[in-house]
Amino acid sequence: MKVILLRFGELYLKGHNRNVFENTLIDNIKKMLQGEEFKFEKTFGRYVISDYKEDRENEIVKKLKKVFGLYSLSKAREVEADVNKIKECVKGIDCKNTSFKVFVKRADKNFPIPSMEFAKELGELVLETNEGSFVDLYNPQKEIHVDIRFNGKAYIFSETIKCLGGLPLGSSGKGLLLLSGGIDSPVAGFLMAKRGMTLEALHFHSYPYTSEQAKEKVVTLAKELSEYTGEIKLHVISFTRVQEEIHKRCKDEFMITIMRRIMMRVAERLCEKHDLGAVITGESLGQVASQTMQSMTVTGDVVKYKPIFRPCIAMDKEEIMKIAKEIETYQTSILPYEDCCTVFLPKNPVIKPTIKQAEREEEYLNVEALVEQALESEEIIVCNK
Amino acid sequence: MIYLDNAATTKMYEGGVDIYKKYACQSFYNPSAGYREATNIAHDLDNVRNKMLAKLKATKGKIIFTGGATESNNLAIFGSRRNGKWEYIFSVGEHPSVYNGALELERQGFTVHFVGLQKNGQIDYNQLEGLVNERTRLISVMHVSNETGAINDLKKIDQIRQKHCPKALFHVDGVQAFCKLTFSVDDFNADLYTFSAHKFHGPKGVGGLYVRNISSLKNIVFGGGQEEGYRSGTENVGGIMAMGFAVEHYNTQENFEKVASLQKIFLKYLDEAGVDYLKTDNPYIVSASFKGVNGETLMRVLQDKGVLVGIGSACSAKKAGNRILENMGLSKDEVKSHIRISFSEELSLNEVEMAGQIITQAYKEILEKVK
Repeated sequence: MKVILLRFGELYLKGHNRNVFENTLIDNIKKMLQGEEFKFEKTFGRYVISDYKEDRENEIVKKLKKVFGLYSLSKAREVEADVNKIKECVKGIDCKNTSFKVFVKRADKNFPIPSMEFAKELGELVLETNEGSFVDLYNPQKEIHVDIRFNGKAYIFSETIKCLGGLPLGSSGKGLLLLSGGIDSPVAGFLMAKRGMTLEALHFHSYPYTSEQAKEKVVTLAKELSEYTGEIKLHVISFTRVQEEIHKRCKDEFMITIMRRIMMRVAERLCEKHDLGAVITGESLGQVASQTMQSMTVTGDVVKYKPIFRPCIAMDKEEIMKIAKEIETYQTSILPYEDCCTVFLPKNPVIKPTIKQAEREEEYLNVEALVEQALESEEIIVCNK
Repeated sequence: MIYLDNAATTKMYEGGVDIYKKYACQSFYNPSAGYREATNIAHDLDNVRNKMLAKLKATKGKIIFTGGATESNNLAIFGSRRNGKWEYIFSVGEHPSVYNGALELERQGFTVHFVGLQKNGQIDYNQLEGLVNERTRLISVMHVSNETGAINDLKKIDQIRQKHCPKALFHVDGVQAFCKLTFSVDDFNADLYTFSAHKFHGPKGVGGLYVRNISSLKNIVFGGGQEEGYRSGTENVGGIMAMGFAVEHYNTQENFEKVASLQKIFLKYLDEAGVDYLKTDNPYIVSASFKGVNGETLMRVLQDKGVLVGIGSACSAKKAGNRILENMGLSKDEVKSHIRISFSEELSLNEVEMAGQIITQAYKEILEKVK
């Protein structure tokens, strides 16, 4: 019988909480495979997906590769843990004109032949049945794994497909991702989700300075991201008034600094309102004026009760782009609509602002009223793949 | 809604819709079929051909119906490709359906030259004269710029051609001029002239190419051999018939005068508000710079106030920058603050006055906020 073997990564680190983590992972796997016909079995240290339609195998693998917390998977054959049945199955593997190595793992020590010995026997069998095959213990072109488990079953496979790793989604709480429409923020969301965090997202919209299409683009990004993270609630906040006020009352070069401080305030307030545990941004150190250490000190200063996670902080643009392409948000991110960060862009934004300077600029504004007004404009869009 | 984006598309004549329906539901036969009902339709199509030729005041030549101007332009460009050391000349101001075709021609290894634009939006005739020679195979220049409304002096271009390369083909993308301006293709001896139905109250998805001498062209699509082999594929009969209706009912002289009077009134509002615009002899399109505000922002504010205007070619509105305006020497800020207002004779005086007020008022309001 064809099956898919699943291995999980870091869960074994989780002592007493292990059950919670595992149950979350299993739930997530089942959710991801919703709509597919399959059977799920939990054996010691492995999960086995079976009884699926064979023509859906690749699709199922593709979906499983999007489940955080899975370390790797293999398309395998399941047979009874019986010497002859295993041999019969190994015979069917095509090894003509290639080097190979047989690995036998015997979790069930009741199996009559010791691992090394059985591996040799199977190796001989492969040599006999495959013209031009030869053993290479160090660098084989093909690996044949025979995994004998406690459940009276053996699993035979030759390929191990790497999955995303990380922690099961939902095992690390819920965060609020600031989603601008650029390349970095979806990647930041992906990386936090990889560490088990479920996401809601926040987008600042500046109609008529930004277009409906710019907002649509962010909805599309959230949908694309939800392939990995599950449903994302996107909170859209109108930022027009805030930007007009800052532009009118504050020094030009502080436009972005003050704007981001107000964004952060809105983000924290939304976290409180919707019971979210952290603010997530796509900032990368030094990438632009607002992402210098000093700028981040000043913008982070207004967030008092929540951590700010910046998973892209130490990454180069190239590295971020690579992930964006892998998770397929890149093409959407590069659509050329202005987002609210490019409106009212000053020619020379301040690179090393101080908290004091920012506070002085904010004296010209009624910050609390602006935050309040922004929050009132909240529109929630549920984004689902 | 006051619609001031008639260069993007126009409303169909209702009579055209009725005609379309007739050819979709009653006389729906395939004109290539052999029975009388079908051949009658082929005759109806030929009638429309004659109407198009009459509007173009062409003394000779044929009409190839196509799926619109993009297709016509592609047929004109790629259909006139020849092996050998020929050269192809385009203006920088062309619509993407010509300009991107020119770039593709270049990628295919052909020699392509681009003529720049003058400040008034017309092509640089001196530069053209420097580029043409006996190897010139094709000169492709638009009649009226879809971005700026500028009218190119096609007679002058023809004179340059006659002087230096009389054998070269002259293609004119006439999408914004056909029906709207009074002219004859014989005035400037166009070999190929593109038109599109939906710019003069016809349906979308249909247009054509006037071809003076059919043997100068090669087909670029292959199939059943319709349109004398130059555009295979069953004819869009309903669309073509509705286009015929539109061309027949479009009163070029009367509409021109009406639009000219509307534009004059509209420009007063711009003058009073200190808005810069390009001065041309074409009343249909006004290309204006609303200094200090972003054209896109103004467009969105206007849509909420019930006025629809354009920000350049709708087909390429998503692309950043503007090749045409930049080539004319406009600064980045001027390009950014650019808006295209395009009229139709169907607008009332009242609508135009309201639009003038709304646009200048919105401009002041935004300026107040962003200055």
